[in-house]
Amino acid sequence: MSTLSPSDYDAIRLSLQVAVAATLLSLPFGFVVAYLITFGRFRGKVFIEVLVNLPLTLPPVVVGYFLLLLLGKHGWLGALLNHAGIRLIFTLKAAVIASAFVGFPLLVRSLRVNMEGIDPELISASRTLGARWYDTLVTVILPLSLPGLFAGSSLMFARSLGEFGATIIVAGNIPGVTQTMPLAIYEYASSPGSEDMALSLCLVSVGISMVVLLLHEMLAKKSAQKG
Amino acid sequence: MKNAIKIVTSLLCLLLTAAPALAADVNLFVAASLKEVVNELSGNFAHQHPGVRFLKNYGASGMLAKQTENGAPSDLFISANIEWMDYLKNRKLVDAASIGTFSYNTLVFAGAPGKASSMRDLIRLQRIAIGSPKSVPAGEYAMEALRKAGLDRQLEKKLVMARDVRACLMYAEQGEVDGAFVYRTDALQAKRAKILFTVPQELYPQVTYPMALTVAGSKNQDAVAFFAYLHGTEAKAVLAKYGFTTR
Repeated sequence: MSTLSPSDYDAIRLSLQVAVAATLLSLPFGFVVAYLITFGRFRGKVFIEVLVNLPLTLPPVVVGYFLLLLLGKHGWLGALLNHAGIRLIFTLKAAVIASAFVGFPLLVRSLRVNMEGIDPELISASRTLGARWYDTLVTVILPLSLPGLFAGSSLMFARSLGEFGATIIVAGNIPGVTQTMPLAIYEYASSPGSEDMALSLCLVSVGISMVVLLLHEMLAKKSAQKG
Repeated sequence: MKNAIKIVTSLLCLLLTAAPALAADVNLFVAASLKEVVNELSGNFAHQHPGVRFLKNYGASGMLAKQTENGAPSDLFISANIEWMDYLKNRKLVDAASIGTFSYNTLVFAGAPGKASSMRDLIRLQRIAIGSPKSVPAGEYAMEALRKAGLDRQLEKKLVMARDVRACLMYAEQGEVDGAFVYRTDALQAKRAKILFTVPQELYPQVTYPMALTVAGSKNQDAVAFFAYLHGTEAKAVLAKYGFTTR
């Protein structure tokens, strides 16, 4: 088995970077959306639920293509950002955005399951004791949602590590800049004579994913014991 | 439940036994830059020889070589460089006696007008598309030219790797990159991107398209007939029409 090349280390670093950034970026949004879906009562809730879960079933390439239409040079948001001197397409930021979109439903799902498990009496107790809705949110719901938050983040992190379809469209494939692990593996897989290189990077990918999932299982067990 | 299992198994059987390849099928594995040419030539040939059906696989030559090595059904291989043809020859996957030259091409830099007019200008650009040198010959020629011009280090982090030369052209067409290294014939197909400059020939080896029958293809009569047709005058006329040189 051959060792990893410098560009492979770059790819591993970039993958981790993208996964961390995408997960952190999604946390506040994920929490708000999960809260609204679980406790909110408003028209069009089903629509939001479907919209949030859509990237789960949509081919990532479709997500990537929509993002390209939106953020590309000729996209309406992309053109706007271009005027402001911000460029997203073919940068690491685009990879983060792509991963955030694809991983978001996993985060929301874990949080929702967790929030639905919160004893409603705890919530009404806090309300009858005079807590405003935001007090209840911060002092009751948020602490009780932490296991779901961790479980969801770890799942989303693992998903982001493997993001390929949307990433290759919006972030391109620039070694050392936007080439994440899956992209590097794809490149190896389509070039003759680099089977060993592809395999060593695949093994790294398997290793990282297993560690993250193991962590996820441990967290899930912990939260199950509590509940 | 039992019925469901029956239906699923029979469907599976149907899928598995679906005719793999009819005798009259000719599998073409062709470099992406030759797409229009080979589409037209195979169309003409099929018109003259009813019953022959072409299955066309266009892509990066290195990828096609790898697919062939892994057992993909291929009768005829046209590569955009000598390297991947030799790769298959060394593994005894192509009929060595049949190897010949199909055509030649030149490397250009294409993009929005005014972006650059020589290799030196490339330093000022933000994003440059190039075929992944590991499997795309156009990318390999381009890397070679950048190295010879002493620009490879400076441009390293600006190079967007495309899966084949046509994907490379698409990036330039959409304006997502400032420009792309493609063949002259690709740039002629482009609508928005224009040829900004021709890469000086002394910077890279001549772009040569070798073609050969695979070992399987040399036993396929239709493939052999089509191979001969590709050597003929009609093929040369079509190549010339699309801007290829046959010297």
